[in-house]
Amino acid sequence: MLRFLGNRLLQSAVVLLGVSAIVFFCLFLAGDPAALMMSPDASRAEIDTFRKAMGFDDPVLVQYLRYLGKALTGDFGISLRFQRPVMELVLERLPATALLAVAALAWSTTLGFVFGVLAAIKPGGLVDFLVRTVALAGQAVPVFWLGLVLILFFAMKWRLLPTGGYGEARHLILPALTLGAYYTSAVTRLVRASLIDVMGEDYIRTARAKGLSPGRVIIGHALRNALIPVLTVQAMYFAALLGGALVTEIIFAWPGIGRLAVQAIQNRDFPLVQAVVLLASTVFVLANLMVDIAYVLLNPRIRL
Amino acid sequence: MRRILSGVLGSGMLGLGLLAATAASPVLAAPNELVIGRAASAATLDPGFLREAGTLVDNIFDTLILRDTEMKLIPGLALSWAAIDDTTWEFKLRPGVKFHNGEAFDATAVKFTFDRVIDPDAKSPTISYVRSVVGVDVVDPLTVRVRTNGPDPLLPTRMSRYPAYIVPPKYIAEVGKDVFARKPVGTGSYKVTEFVQDDRVVMVANPDYWRGKPTIGRVVWKPIPEATARIAALVSGEVQLIEGVPAELVGLVKASPELNLEQVRNGGLTIYLGLKSTEKPLSDVKVRRALSMAIDRKTIVAEILKGLGTATGSQTSPADFGYKAIEPPAYDPAKAKALLAEAGYPDGFSIKMQVPRRYISSAEVGQAIAQQFAAIGVKAELEVPEWSVYAQQVPAGKQAPIYMLAWGSTQTLDADAALFAILRTGEPYSTVSMPALDTLLDQSRKIVDADKRKAVLLEIQDKMVEDVPLLTLYQEDSLYAARKDLVFKGRPDARLPLFDLKFGP
Repeated sequence: MLRFLGNRLLQSAVVLLGVSAIVFFCLFLAGDPAALMMSPDASRAEIDTFRKAMGFDDPVLVQYLRYLGKALTGDFGISLRFQRPVMELVLERLPATALLAVAALAWSTTLGFVFGVLAAIKPGGLVDFLVRTVALAGQAVPVFWLGLVLILFFAMKWRLLPTGGYGEARHLILPALTLGAYYTSAVTRLVRASLIDVMGEDYIRTARAKGLSPGRVIIGHALRNALIPVLTVQAMYFAALLGGALVTEIIFAWPGIGRLAVQAIQNRDFPLVQAVVLLASTVFVLANLMVDIAYVLLNPRIRL
Repeated sequence: MRRILSGVLGSGMLGLGLLAATAASPVLAAPNELVIGRAASAATLDPGFLREAGTLVDNIFDTLILRDTEMKLIPGLALSWAAIDDTTWEFKLRPGVKFHNGEAFDATAVKFTFDRVIDPDAKSPTISYVRSVVGVDVVDPLTVRVRTNGPDPLLPTRMSRYPAYIVPPKYIAEVGKDVFARKPVGTGSYKVTEFVQDDRVVMVANPDYWRGKPTIGRVVWKPIPEATARIAALVSGEVQLIEGVPAELVGLVKASPELNLEQVRNGGLTIYLGLKSTEKPLSDVKVRRALSMAIDRKTIVAEILKGLGTATGSQTSPADFGYKAIEPPAYDPAKAKALLAEAGYPDGFSIKMQVPRRYISSAEVGQAIAQQFAAIGVKAELEVPEWSVYAQQVPAGKQAPIYMLAWGSTQTLDADAALFAILRTGEPYSTVSMPALDTLLDQSRKIVDADKRKAVLLEIQDKMVEDVPLLTLYQEDSLYAARKDLVFKGRPDARLPLFDLKFGP
């Protein structure tokens, strides 16, 4: 178990190092930020001075090593646009993004679970057909469209909820609905498929043969095993969401990491883009690691 | 297909919804509170280090010189100003003005304001706006002298815009630059009470403002990046004024009985096609003239821009000092074809053209121009680049030989800003290299006498008609939308002075 952990940790570190290199060099392929950071009527000489002051004229490798060295001590640099440490900016936005992610996943998981189980009780039946149709629609609808339609009805027509913003519970409802729609469908389909799979196992047949009610068979025996793949995917979803929900955050003016990332890219705010991508990948890698560990604990068939 | 279908469906539904929703809608905000929706969010409120438009800081701080609604320069924190020699300007300051924290405004504050921006170590991104300023001398508490590195006719204009907003030296020394950027203190009409990045900036009226107490008590600036959501917030009454109405939703605003569309004629930038005129075939003036004649500017503005602009032949704007009214070049494809043949291209040629999706319907305009070029035999390979990439390519000179850009002088209202940077050899945004133009451009920056300078600026524009260094297309309008009960007038300098706003009957 310890060796497994050690291996996985090492793997994670290598992945993150790779990510940092890719992000760093990709951004430099796009060109030099100095010209863009200055006002449009700045002269060539003024831009050159600025570039030198910011250290953009050093060899890229030197800049990368300098960046890596600082990053290891937790210093990800100063945002070019905000003129503040990027870590501070990212951490400031994290609660908004986490709140949205938790809210979206909470309702979508609950509903997805109920739908999935209902559909799996009688595969091919009417309920199954309805659930599958709704799930397909939920995954097919583009987020930006759903978001705008929700604004149209709930904010503009019925005046029940604000069009966007942050701070109160009512601000959370529309973005969480928009973001969660996709995941409800995904969870529904996953729970259904996984449950149908498990229902075909020998031990379920045995449980049925014992004369247990269908409900007890599903909840007491099948669901536990059907949960394993669902758990994996859920952890990945959550990790991905912590990296920011770009479209949803923009539409609803939600001050999260996704919006920060989009702005950073538009403004060629190199340090900020790097930090956001690194944060997103770190969360993702960590979530992966935890899922692996949870697997071992949940599934006695995996032995180390 | 799915995306296309849902897009069509989406805009259709939104259209219906907007119309339905405008039928009955109470105003939700408190009567003495104004909420403004903007596409951009403020990154900093330190006027010396802005990387964005000065819309917000303009209400927190004052400059020595202000612009009235007619765009005339009028006394601000300075009562009067005069050039005492070619390189020195003297300003008499307004007595009795205080910053929001009670600190007195005086000559020291003026000196401090400029010292912190012109210091190269401070890395101010707007240092070029005050590039001519060498130093500020305090003569007495209410008199300062600004020294320039040469004759600078634009100095009064420079004193009317950022980074020339006067900041409080004691407060900044006390709290530091970082805190100041988030909790700014100025002499302006409104005080900042709350600044939550990407969510809101809250301001309240400054009761002791030197021009009098502002009418509206509390103002909230809300960034709403998505254009449709911005309109939705206006229709539902969450905000009462929005900046940047997207052209495709203008019809909805016009159709609403509760909303006013404020279309500021010539309030936007001038759209032009830049030409790499040092490379073949664009190095030939006949080719450039032919391309210019091949474009039907008036039809483009009427049909594609839906009238949200003005076809023009002037790179300068009517409100500019040094503006020259030039008719849009006549549309004459037959003559254009003949000119091309004269230049040795009877069958035309192929050339790359970049048009970003950045300005009003610009990608569609690009397509129309490509077709009009095709009519005279010029095959333009149109590329619609992603803005953030394109914005790097252009100052680096890596753009296509024909490229669309918008330029203007909204911040200075002086022809210099509209011309110099895109015409002078070696400037980052210029692909022009014409010695005769350079001579005139350099000359224009050295003349302090207003009339003589104007003559040179006009001469530059005459030269442009003759040599066609770039293809001027049209000037965009700027678009605002407001609830009917708000008395609001858009300005050609793109400022939004809260002091002039009020709720009407």
